[in-house]
Amino acid sequence: MKSVSVMLGLVAALALPGCKIVKTAEEGETAAAVAGEAGDDARIAALLDKTYDAELLPLIAAKALPVADLRTALAAGLEAAGAAHGNKGSGEGAAWNFAVKGEGKVVEANLTSRARKAMLDTDGDGAADLTLQLGPVIKGSSLRDVAPFYRFGDFRDQIEFAKLARALNDRASAGLQVPEGELTGKTVSFLGTVDLKASGDPWLVTVVTLSVAP
Amino acid sequence: MLNRRTFIATGTLALVVASMAKAQEKGTIAIITPSHDNPFFKAEADGAAAKAKELGFEVMVLVHDDDANKQNELFDSAIAAGVKAIILDNAGADASVAAVQKAKDAGIPSFLIDREITATGVAVSQIVSNNYQGAQLGAEEFVKLMGEAGDYAELIGKESDTNAGIRSKGYHDVIDQYPDLKMVASQTANWSQTEAYSVMESMLQANPGIKGVISGNDTMAMGAWAALEAAGRTDVIVVGFDGSNDVRDSILKGGIKATVLQPAYAQAQMAVEQADKFIAGGSTGVEEKQLMDCVLINADNAAKLETFALSA
Repeated sequence: MKSVSVMLGLVAALALPGCKIVKTAEEGETAAAVAGEAGDDARIAALLDKTYDAELLPLIAAKALPVADLRTALAAGLEAAGAAHGNKGSGEGAAWNFAVKGEGKVVEANLTSRARKAMLDTDGDGAADLTLQLGPVIKGSSLRDVAPFYRFGDFRDQIEFAKLARALNDRASAGLQVPEGELTGKTVSFLGTVDLKASGDPWLVTVVTLSVAP
Repeated sequence: MLNRRTFIATGTLALVVASMAKAQEKGTIAIITPSHDNPFFKAEADGAAAKAKELGFEVMVLVHDDDANKQNELFDSAIAAGVKAIILDNAGADASVAAVQKAKDAGIPSFLIDREITATGVAVSQIVSNNYQGAQLGAEEFVKLMGEAGDYAELIGKESDTNAGIRSKGYHDVIDQYPDLKMVASQTANWSQTEAYSVMESMLQANPGIKGVISGNDTMAMGAWAALEAAGRTDVIVVGFDGSNDVRDSILKGGIKATVLQPAYAQAQMAVEQADKFIAGGSTGVEEKQLMDCVLINADNAAKLETFALSA
């Protein structure tokens, strides 16, 4: 028993620099009852349980444009394309976010990084024209910002709002089945989101569903 | 001490009288920020002052030196002077609420920039850089430069400034997802260049294997870089935050590797525009809490950076 508590103490001490100790909710205490930052994780988890499958994935599926169609829309200007098909993140200078779907051949893949990526050729010219994020580390907040129902004003501050983006990324990444072995040369189809600050920005797609042709 | 205080008070009064005498119909806007020793805060004050003058206001530029008591006195002066609005980069998220409330009770609206306060409905606007998003950008670049592995140190800002904690959390949100990146030292240097120099010196002595340093702001990054140079360790990867001209120059010379621009100048101008609108029509037309995205600065775009603004 004593050694267990010593171990726990050691683990806590080791964990200190990088992590913060989050107070867990007491028995019988509802998530909403834990105000402030201590209750963030529980609140965000509850929000995800309520909205991820029921609202976010259907929204992305319904709004997703095929790659070529989104490129055509963007050719007329980012603002016009965004107003017609996208959603703008909260704040001045925030990106436009679009749902997108497509299929292509993997030209290059990096599966050794913690932020795994596959570069895809979707128009058949042999060159990669977009990058799929395959996790486990996912950059950006386009899953959050593509949805008009996640609004900054509804959150305590930028930390809580950022935690939502991270939780959404983690949920998406956990749901991806990335096959073992070489991806290059394989054909994959995907559904995801992309955020753009300029119409010519390279596409970094956050993937919510992925299938690899055998 | 008493004499000095009297002198300061008289000086402030003289400034107020002078600006009131000169004031046109639109009146005076007070611009209160931390010390201009940090070019970031100077850019804020300059941006706000330029916009206020452009819109026909007189300006009263004051610094609180991150001292909540001093800030409180400055609010008293501004209220006594009958300013039309206060543009504030505050001296503490909790400590500033009372001062802003006091101005509100006196019928003077406050427009906050850079740092949030812990209450809503007290200030009219709170326009802050998305420090968390910015920190994530800086951390992503840091991770890439580090090749996802190695020992690193973190320099943290002043504890009373809410952004010190927000940036640190944003950094760790990204970096802690890479198990091969190990933080071997973490310490505050209070946003100070000289303090960062000595902190970096001792960090380096204790951890000679350090491969990278991630810093909560640019002045500390400059201090760390100077210490690394002095120790002949220019191989160490340093990433800062703010987008100062000093760090820009270092990036262009191949020193510090990256920073994150907060659009301080534009942000201050936006606050004045909202103040002008509010004074004229009783509403800004936008929500109280507003975020502004930050931009990663590295060797690719550093040349376009000037005084906390990026040219197209």
